[in-house]
Amino acid sequence: MSFLAWLESTTLSQWIVGSLWAFPVILTFHAIGMGVAAGLSAMLDLRILGVGRGIPFPELRRFVPVLWAGFWVNAVSGVLLLIGYPTKALTNPVFYLKLSLIAGGMVLLLRLTRRLFADGGGELVAPPTSPAIRRLAIVSLVCWAGAIVAGRLLAYTYSHLTATDY
Amino acid sequence: MHAAQIWLVQNILAHSPVKAVMHSAWGWPIAESLHFIGLTLLVGTIGAFDLRLLGIGRRIPIAAMHRFIPWGIAGFAINVCTGLMFLLTEPDQYIYNSSFHMKVVFLAIAGLNASAFYVTSYRKVCGSSICFEAPRRAKAIAAISLCAWIGVITCGRLLTFFRPAPCVGTQAAIVLACQP
Repeated sequence: MSFLAWLESTTLSQWIVGSLWAFPVILTFHAIGMGVAAGLSAMLDLRILGVGRGIPFPELRRFVPVLWAGFWVNAVSGVLLLIGYPTKALTNPVFYLKLSLIAGGMVLLLRLTRRLFADGGGELVAPPTSPAIRRLAIVSLVCWAGAIVAGRLLAYTYSHLTATDY
Repeated sequence: MHAAQIWLVQNILAHSPVKAVMHSAWGWPIAESLHFIGLTLLVGTIGAFDLRLLGIGRRIPIAAMHRFIPWGIAGFAINVCTGLMFLLTEPDQYIYNSSFHMKVVFLAIAGLNASAFYVTSYRKVCGSSICFEAPRRAKAIAAISLCAWIGVITCGRLLTFFRPAPCVGTQAAIVLACQP
């Protein structure tokens, strides 16, 4: 029996797929976590790009733990969705594109926050922007928008729903 | 109410201006993608402002944080447009859907709540003097806003799973929640 077929035979996978509420509730958490994680990342990017002048930039670090909470909600709900339909995701190239874009967004977030929140910033009002940092913020926005689009397209681009039709 | 719903569905089905675009191969998926991007923009900016009112980032002047709100309104505008495109393409899947009815109720709560903020609190927290601590009423409004938007997202997500079944027998409910 293949790994995918085994995973689909587990009681957890069958509960996620078969239960009336499991899949919709997990997807709901996934949508809320998306709004929090990608949304707050985008908010930081917008600040770097000049929105909200007058916000002492280092103070925005207080929102980073909330962002991470959203990220972990989505890591857990995403793994549960993956356990529900492993073949559907893992045989679809768009799924790997989505994961790469999320990885890109998180790496950029770490780089930007490490660089911009590093010394506590004191009373610094504006983020220390350079063309390089502004470019990173734009790439971060593109990563998050791309991850969202790729995630949505997963519902339209899969070729095998379960291991039995693979 | 039932007659109004049926009339609405029939007229939308007969005169929908976007049906052809939405039924093309990419119409619906692109509109959905934009709907999720709008959601993210709204949560990331309006949600962040609500969290600031509730006390996260206490050294940020509330008026400065309010600069993000136009971006949240832009996200909302994207979602009104794309949402209308869904509604004008498959009206029977929304007009008779209890989850959609609940979503509209949460949207109304969010809208009235935002109006309450601008009527009662905006001048206090974003006015001439720099304000760092929101009054209790503004905090309550922020908490209601977060809950209302979570409600909107939850009902929006669930309405794709809940499809109105054909009506059987007489319907006593105020709002018709089955396919006549």
